[in-house]
Amino acid sequence: MPIVELQNIRKVYDTKVAVEGLTLAIEPGTMFGLLGPNGSGKTSSIRMMIGMTVPDSGTVSLFDKPFARTSLNRVGYLPEERGLYKKMKVLDQLVFLGQLHGLDEATARKRSLAWCERMEISEAIAKKTEELSKGMQQKIQFIAALLHEPELIIMDEPFSGLDPVNATLLMDTLVALRGEGKAILFSTHRMDQVEKLCDAIALISRGKLLLSGGMREIKSRYPRNRVQVVFTGDDSFLRHPGVVEAKNYSGIAEIKLHDEAAAQQILAEAISRGTHINRFEVMEPTLEEIFIENVRASFGDAEAGGRVDA
Amino acid sequence: MHNIWLIAKREYLERVRTKGFIIATVLIPLLMGALVFGSAYMGSKSKTSSHIAVVTSDSVLGTDLKHQLEGGKENDMQIDLSTPSSDTRTALDIQLHAKSSSLAGYLWVTPPATAGDRPTFTYTARSAGDIATQEAIESALRAVLMREHLEAKGMAGSEIDALVAPVKIDTSASGNSTAAFFAAYTLFFLMYMVIMLYGMNTARSIIEEKTSRVFEVLLATIKPEELLAGKILGVGAVGLTQIGLWMIAAFALSSSSLASGLVGTGHGLISAAQIGFFVMYFLFGFLLYSSIAAALGAMTNSEQELQQLNMFLVLPLAFCMVMLFSIIRAPNSTMARVVSLIPFCSPLLMNFRISLTQVPAWEIWLSIVLMSATIFAILWVSSRIYRVGILMYGKKPNLPEILRWLKYS
Repeated sequence: MPIVELQNIRKVYDTKVAVEGLTLAIEPGTMFGLLGPNGSGKTSSIRMMIGMTVPDSGTVSLFDKPFARTSLNRVGYLPEERGLYKKMKVLDQLVFLGQLHGLDEATARKRSLAWCERMEISEAIAKKTEELSKGMQQKIQFIAALLHEPELIIMDEPFSGLDPVNATLLMDTLVALRGEGKAILFSTHRMDQVEKLCDAIALISRGKLLLSGGMREIKSRYPRNRVQVVFTGDDSFLRHPGVVEAKNYSGIAEIKLHDEAAAQQILAEAISRGTHINRFEVMEPTLEEIFIENVRASFGDAEAGGRVDA
Repeated sequence: MHNIWLIAKREYLERVRTKGFIIATVLIPLLMGALVFGSAYMGSKSKTSSHIAVVTSDSVLGTDLKHQLEGGKENDMQIDLSTPSSDTRTALDIQLHAKSSSLAGYLWVTPPATAGDRPTFTYTARSAGDIATQEAIESALRAVLMREHLEAKGMAGSEIDALVAPVKIDTSASGNSTAAFFAAYTLFFLMYMVIMLYGMNTARSIIEEKTSRVFEVLLATIKPEELLAGKILGVGAVGLTQIGLWMIAAFALSSSSLASGLVGTGHGLISAAQIGFFVMYFLFGFLLYSSIAAALGAMTNSEQELQQLNMFLVLPLAFCMVMLFSIIRAPNSTMARVVSLIPFCSPLLMNFRISLTQVPAWEIWLSIVLMSATIFAILWVSSRIYRVGILMYGKKPNLPEILRWLKYS
């Protein structure tokens, strides 16, 4: 039973098509990465999932039922643009947002305190939001999205602007929540995070779905034609005919091959020419490469340069 | 319903706790009172006290005029009498332009060419704007000339006094009318200020949520209509609290000796019914103007942009202010009745008429019906603008775009 199901949804703002024929489903207990370049329709899609805007056509189902506002108490949402009442005390704010999600005051208060402790911001509880650092505000927003123990957690760019320590804390929390069987959808530009965390992804560009499915499955669609070499000495093996493209970052080379078989030949050639090899690894393409390749193709190579940022 | 209540409660508590609320609660009535009663006091106590010179060869006219202007009921002027000679005018002109002199002007009386005609009068003033002095001289001259004329016809002094004695009308049966008038005036300005203040507060609170992006979180659980309703109710409740505090303070004052002078004997300045009407019309006025303000807030992205659209709130209120003066003169004229039925003006003007005069019940009911209909219409439009506009950033919408928003459902 999918937690979220989008069926062929379409949304047009005036003349701009924001989302076109998007279909995807998220199962419980999965971490789902929604990827795409800036302005690709990620936020528009998320807004339709939580009924903030209504699709022009297509259907949205939450918890296996057609969308209804009553389901929203089972959804936690962290918007891309963080927003909190500046003048309000942190605890009051959390209790207020918890109550809006259907909690009673006492429960909201109890859970707020527990979460503040878990997120290591107990000292901020009595302060006004405007007195806090940006990272702290983001953690508070994060807590606000989770107070009512939602079964579906939607986070738009949850890690942006956080230092590595706090980003890890948030990631660990999300992983723990997935362990409890919650479905988590997040959008991000950071492919390394997606690779580490996500079970399934969807890649959209210009409002259209380019790629979707389980992480393993998507990666296995691509040949293992990437090689990373750490070496010293002669670099002439990079000009082997089996090499499509090679980038040499002074001693660390990333090589793209015509096919997997060429890897062994290149290694043999490098050794025969006396190059000292410290590491030689044959890999699948990284998610980042898959992302850039697909998005480039969707824009048409000519105009891709400035508009894609991964 | 629960969500509306939560939003309203937050809005209310956050506002009531601010220093601004406390300051406004204390300062506004103080300022209002000072303004209204102060100007009334100044108006009643100010006598013309200018120092002028009168140049005339007719000594009887001169003394009579001096008597009238120095000791008259409305005047407390200082008069120098002199007879015209070749250098009087130059001396007076020099005096008039000297900084140290207190002379405000001089009156030159030219005797009539034929006996029995009126003399001609020329007044040269230091400042062209000194209308009060000029008027005082005119009325004194009129009185003096009439007295002289009547005396010339052989009427006795006592008879003339009886003839020109001012007429007094006893209005004590309907209470102290001047005081009641000022009370109504005060209520009008209180209402004006409060509607203005809290209407703008609604708009500001929407913009605040918009710039801080809080509503994205809010809209993920509640409907824009609930957010709008909660906001208007919350801000309105703050306004009512403020008025309530003022009323309690007024009651506390009126039972103390300090206020007995203001309230007068027998008739209270502000009756319970008046307070009831005031609160009712405040509610209508607030709902009307804050729903306009809500639409303005949803359309704009910053306080600066809101300032530009401010006139949609200020213009109708300013119109009420202009109409106030004709309503004071004739509260039951056709124009006063029509204007006070315009929904945008009813909260201020109908309430003002009620405190001045007996307004037929059907007019009050009609104003309530018209206001309710208008409020529903504006809320319908506002909630649509709000729903779409709140998610729009950056570009300020133009009129065709706003009209298109209305069609979204």
